[in-house]
Amino acid sequence: MRSGDLALHHGGLKMKKRNISINLLIISFFLILPGILFANNVNNIIQKANNMFVGNNIYSVNDMTIYRSGKLNITMKLENFFMKKGGKSYSLAVYKKPGRMKGTAYLMIENDLWIRFSSTGRIRKLSSSAKKNSAAGTDFSYNDMGDTGEGPISRYDMELVDSKEDVNGEKCYKIICIPKHGEEQDYEKLEVYISTKEYYYIKIDYFRHKANIKTLTFSEYRTIGDKIYPYKMVMESHIKPTKTEIITKEIEFNSSRVKERYFNISYLERIK
Amino acid sequence: MSFGVAVTKMEFSFYSLAPKESIRFKKLKSIIENFPAASSIIVVVESKNREDKIQSEKKVKAAVDAIQKELSNPKYSKYITRIEGKMDMSFFENHGLMILDVDNIKRMSNLFSNPNIVPFLKQLNDNFEDEYSADEENLSEDERMLIGQFNGIKEILSLMKKSSDGTDISGEELSVSLDKFLIGNPYIFNKDNTMALIVIQPSFTVNDIIPLMNGVPLIDKTVREIADKYDVKAGLTGMTVVAKDEGETSEKGIVASMFISLLLIMILLIVTYKMYSVPLISGIPLLIGVFWTVGMAGFLLRRINLVTAAYMVVLIGLGVDYAIHLLTAFTLERDDGKGFFDAIGNSFRKSGSGIVLGALTTASAFFALVITRSSMVGELGIVAGIGIICELIAMFILVPALLGLRNERIFKRGKTKTKLFNKVRIKFTFMEKLGKSIKAKPYIYAITMFILTLLILPQARNIGVEKNIMNMEAKGLESIELQDKMTEEFEMSPDAIFYSSNDLNEIRDIGKRLRKLESVKEIESITLFLPSDSEQKERKPYIEKFKSYLSNIQSSNYVNITQLREELSRLENNLCEMSDLAYIGGMDNLHEKLDNLTGKDKEGNKVKESIVDKLLESLSGRNSEIEYRLVKFQKNFVLLSKAKLIKMANTDKVTLDLLPNYIRDSYVSRDGSCFLLNIIPKENPWVKENRDILNKQVTSITDETTSMVNLSDILVEIAEKSGLIASLAAIVAIFLLLLIDFRNFKLSILTVIPLLLSFGTLFGFMAIAGIKFDFVNIISIPLLIGIGVDDAVHINHRYLIEGKGNMDIVIAKTGKAVLLTSITTIIAFASFIPSLMTAMHSTGIVLSAAMAVAFLFSILFHPAILIIVYEKWGLSITPWRFKNEEKEH
Repeated sequence: MRSGDLALHHGGLKMKKRNISINLLIISFFLILPGILFANNVNNIIQKANNMFVGNNIYSVNDMTIYRSGKLNITMKLENFFMKKGGKSYSLAVYKKPGRMKGTAYLMIENDLWIRFSSTGRIRKLSSSAKKNSAAGTDFSYNDMGDTGEGPISRYDMELVDSKEDVNGEKCYKIICIPKHGEEQDYEKLEVYISTKEYYYIKIDYFRHKANIKTLTFSEYRTIGDKIYPYKMVMESHIKPTKTEIITKEIEFNSSRVKERYFNISYLERIK
Repeated sequence: MSFGVAVTKMEFSFYSLAPKESIRFKKLKSIIENFPAASSIIVVVESKNREDKIQSEKKVKAAVDAIQKELSNPKYSKYITRIEGKMDMSFFENHGLMILDVDNIKRMSNLFSNPNIVPFLKQLNDNFEDEYSADEENLSEDERMLIGQFNGIKEILSLMKKSSDGTDISGEELSVSLDKFLIGNPYIFNKDNTMALIVIQPSFTVNDIIPLMNGVPLIDKTVREIADKYDVKAGLTGMTVVAKDEGETSEKGIVASMFISLLLIMILLIVTYKMYSVPLISGIPLLIGVFWTVGMAGFLLRRINLVTAAYMVVLIGLGVDYAIHLLTAFTLERDDGKGFFDAIGNSFRKSGSGIVLGALTTASAFFALVITRSSMVGELGIVAGIGIICELIAMFILVPALLGLRNERIFKRGKTKTKLFNKVRIKFTFMEKLGKSIKAKPYIYAITMFILTLLILPQARNIGVEKNIMNMEAKGLESIELQDKMTEEFEMSPDAIFYSSNDLNEIRDIGKRLRKLESVKEIESITLFLPSDSEQKERKPYIEKFKSYLSNIQSSNYVNITQLREELSRLENNLCEMSDLAYIGGMDNLHEKLDNLTGKDKEGNKVKESIVDKLLESLSGRNSEIEYRLVKFQKNFVLLSKAKLIKMANTDKVTLDLLPNYIRDSYVSRDGSCFLLNIIPKENPWVKENRDILNKQVTSITDETTSMVNLSDILVEIAEKSGLIASLAAIVAIFLLLLIDFRNFKLSILTVIPLLLSFGTLFGFMAIAGIKFDFVNIISIPLLIGIGVDDAVHINHRYLIEGKGNMDIVIAKTGKAVLLTSITTIIAFASFIPSLMTAMHSTGIVLSAAMAVAFLFSILFHPAILIIVYEKWGLSITPWRFKNEEKEH
């Protein structure tokens, strides 16, 4: 073999190696691509769905009814204020009814939570661990309540598992959410169902210790400005015979009624 | 056979239906046998007038004390090992701090770091604000304990008020109030103290039938008598009592059913055959057949359970069928003028093979149940199959013999028909008319019946399976109702899930993890009262420090009235806030208690003076005199609380021997080697939805639990799987038998078709009527297969004998027997319907409906299809040997 031939031979070998490497790259890309596309797809789905909720300076008035063993136990009327500023979320909920609770209020600033009792005028600070506890006897935890300003699953990693799941006659994306790595969340898993047509949240199943402990359903979607919002949300517990229904009576996004001065303790003291 | 009967045990509880091979069942059996408390009988005592809470508490307490005293009498020792209505609190008085975790020891230490009144109230307020004032969930978890504590606080404040007014307070009064606050109530009260529980540890378990059936009624009678005297209500509940109630209800139901069905059947036969002696002619072999069946069950299985016992009633209805066929054939021959012996011979010749094949198909359907993995279903298959054969043999041997005896008697007496039968005669001439009609219009009959099935069958997909065993119990069983009451009033299900282990550390570890589950109310085990060595070592220094500090505290000669007023106001604010949280959290008893303490109505409006208001008013008077009285009160308070707390701060090692007997017996096995952990569910675990969540959560930690609830899941699974397998096996077995007998594939298929159509119609009917399958009535499916095919078999045999074009004769001749056998079988099954046991009631409806539907398809659809296939379409249904004989001709 002449040297030139050898050079050609080596060059040929190099060429072959390069081809193999390129092929491997291409193959790998196509293997990873669905994952990338899916991940992007999940994010897109969630983004579209969250557009219903995500907003700033949200003012709302809700009727919150608790049912126990199928019977109506109590209906409360709450006035809610939500603001996001400087990366922090602020929320204030003030009881308007029943008479006994009128003027009682909850203030949440990130992980800090205060309650102001109208009966005594005193303000108590809850421990941060209490945020995962039931909020005012409802099936929502304080954290669940706080999520409604940012989207219910903002703190979880997501995976799309099905795009044709049928929920009450509605075709839905089924998305599994697990806590972000290294973070501890209230639930070990969420199963989220978002309609494929309109990108509405339809249902969320909450899991702890492998069991679905409660389910949140969304309905009565209505247009409000450029958003479409569920005017009815029902959280049903599967570990006790209770259900909490939130009916939104009024909601405003970018509302002028939400003022920064509401989100501090001195304002709490002045609530009547 | 008598020996077999003698050794047969009666086991009439759902427990006895459990599959022996199941690991969970074996564990449950072991727990029941080794842990006496697992078979506890619970007495529920309730005030008759719960509105008056003060009187209610007094009466209930008095009744509990009286019942405890009476049942502790040695005359009950045969049935009662131990009884606890008012708990022995001495263990807690002596070791109360050592059994608390470090955080709670610190809490107690802070609370009583200075038992003088003002510091004590300050620390109490700090504690309320830290733990409960803003945390509704903590409030909910400790609701019962807090109600007890608030009772104690109210009494302490009341005594303080009395003292400040100048009334002398006895040490005893203050001691009782302090005990309520520190240790809690020795009685097991519900939240508003209008109901209480007494736990009886019987000397027998649910397996011991005789002492169970004697002991429980005796205890029940005694409890009710005492309850009447104290103007309260009382009843028994718990697994042992429910088992006894099940047995009693089943037994009553079965005996009554047997009697009623036998009576009705005999009346029908007397009138049909115009013989007063028919009850003897059919009844004697019938009862002998049942006796032989029980005997064989004793030899093979050694027991009769709920399902096989109920089947004895069915056997009456089935066994009499063979007598009916023989008697029908015999009377037809006699009506044709044949002599006695010729009539007997001909009846066997013409009906014998049909009867035998019918019996074999029914028996094979039952024997097919043996292939399922369920011992309950298998046992039924064996007993039922043997029962059919025993009845057949008894009838074949004894009916002709008894007819012969009758004939001899008539011959000797020269008797003719009685006048009664001239007036009362059931004529079956309509059968001949029906036969003629079917012969003339077979397509109409076949299509009509087919359309009927098509209309009802789609409903069959809505059939459900009963997943809640309690729904199968007798309605109105007090022991079951009291279980529901216990869940509601005491927030605990009387049915725990059990976990056992020889390793105490394992119990401790599993208990900690299970406690965190949302579906679990409480975890009970010995580890609550027996800290590990390392835990005791960890706690000891904190307790010693507290004890040492407390020993040096003296009561002050001074009470700062201003600070006292501040702390009292603060206390009232804390109570108000906790009441608000309890109100919106749905903790009705707690918020009522707190509203009462704070003088508020349900709307939160101040409507009366609270104890704090009254105290504050007292404290606004002449300070030096009030201060003197309060110092005196404080002295007693400090003295007593110090004494109690120092006693509780015992750092001696807590060992198993120190524990009260009632605690040891609850959680330690008889031989001391094994420990029990009870998982108390929040909600009633008998409800499927609750059970699914509980099972999922518990199995995420351990899959080695067991309970009666788990057992019911196994039984339901049996119902779902075994019923299907058994049915398929029965169909295959019967089909093979038909093939062997008829030697014609088409005829065998045609015989099975009406059966399948009647299934479809039955399932549709069940779905429409809302009747669910359960592990009792699902056994009716193979039964239906076995019995439902009989009528078609008889018609086939007769048709092959009478030949083409003679279906009217076939129906005329076999119709009476087919109708009678269907009616008698329906009577037998319908006798279950009045049963108090829901399971038996629904089985009665299912089986009766099944037989009625099978009869209609056999008498209307099957003959029509035979005519269409054989006479209209010209397809052969004759056995191949007949074809050969035809060829020879």
